Amino acid sequence: MDESALVSQAANRDVAAFSALTRLHQSKVRGLLLRLTRGNHALADDLAQETFLQAWRSIAGFRGDSAFATWLYRIAYSRFLMHARKRKEEELGDWDGETPSGEGAVHARLDLERAFAHLSVAERAALTLCFALGLSNSEAAQTLDMPLGTLKSHVLRGREKLKTILGDPS
Amino acid sequence: MNDAQLDALLSRPLPELDTTHFSVAVMEAIARDAARPARVLGWIMVGVLAVVVALACVFGATLAGRDAMAGAPIAIPLALSTLVALLCLSVLQAARE
Repeated sequence: MDESALVSQAANRDVAAFSALTRLHQSKVRGLLLRLTRGNHALADDLAQETFLQAWRSIAGFRGDSAFATWLYRIAYSRFLMHARKRKEEELGDWDGETPSGEGAVHARLDLERAFAHLSVAERAALTLCFALGLSNSEAAQTLDMPLGTLKSHVLRGREKLKTILGDPS
Repeated sequence: MNDAQLDALLSRPLPELDTTHFSVAVMEAIARDAARPARVLGWIMVGVLAVVVALACVFGATLAGRDAMAGAPIAIPLALSTLVALLCLSVLQAARE
């Protein structure tokens, strides 16, 4: 069964259809939130659960203007921002200038995740949506509710920071 | 790290996370959310019942006068309290279902 059929069934309060949608999208939503929460698994999963609950409550209002996944990312991002405003996200200190060590694919991923923790929330979200989740710039801008130019500058700044942190030979 | 290497690293898909526990937790949260209006209604009904029975007790005691209660000062309030408790339990059970 294709996703649009599942969405319309879920909009008619079909729990099984919504469960199937949850299974389809949970990994990416949790992955996005994991990046936003700087690797806090428990918090990311709590926020992801709130995201899907919110999606279930308001799925009847989903008009299909964007992909269902994009709509979920938007809810996830707004849940994260609400949480951050409540809890005043603990800021990391400035990056200490050490280049993370490690070789190979696993180390590269670990280094990347550590480096991500040094970016701002908007930079983390913009880079994750545009690269790992494959959204276009305009879709990502819509998801994060920011102008396209602002999104592009977040992507550029984030990339430059990552290059510096991960070690730029040039 | 050059631009191409960074792009390749960033474009890797996010790691797949275990779906079973999370999906179950979401479905449980949805079920709890769906039961919430019934639970709230159940508590409201319990409150209304308690007030009605308390008013009935006061009304009954006023009509009968203190002398009529002298023989069994505890029996009547005890019976009424038990009745209220039973009603509350049945209302809450219905709300849970």
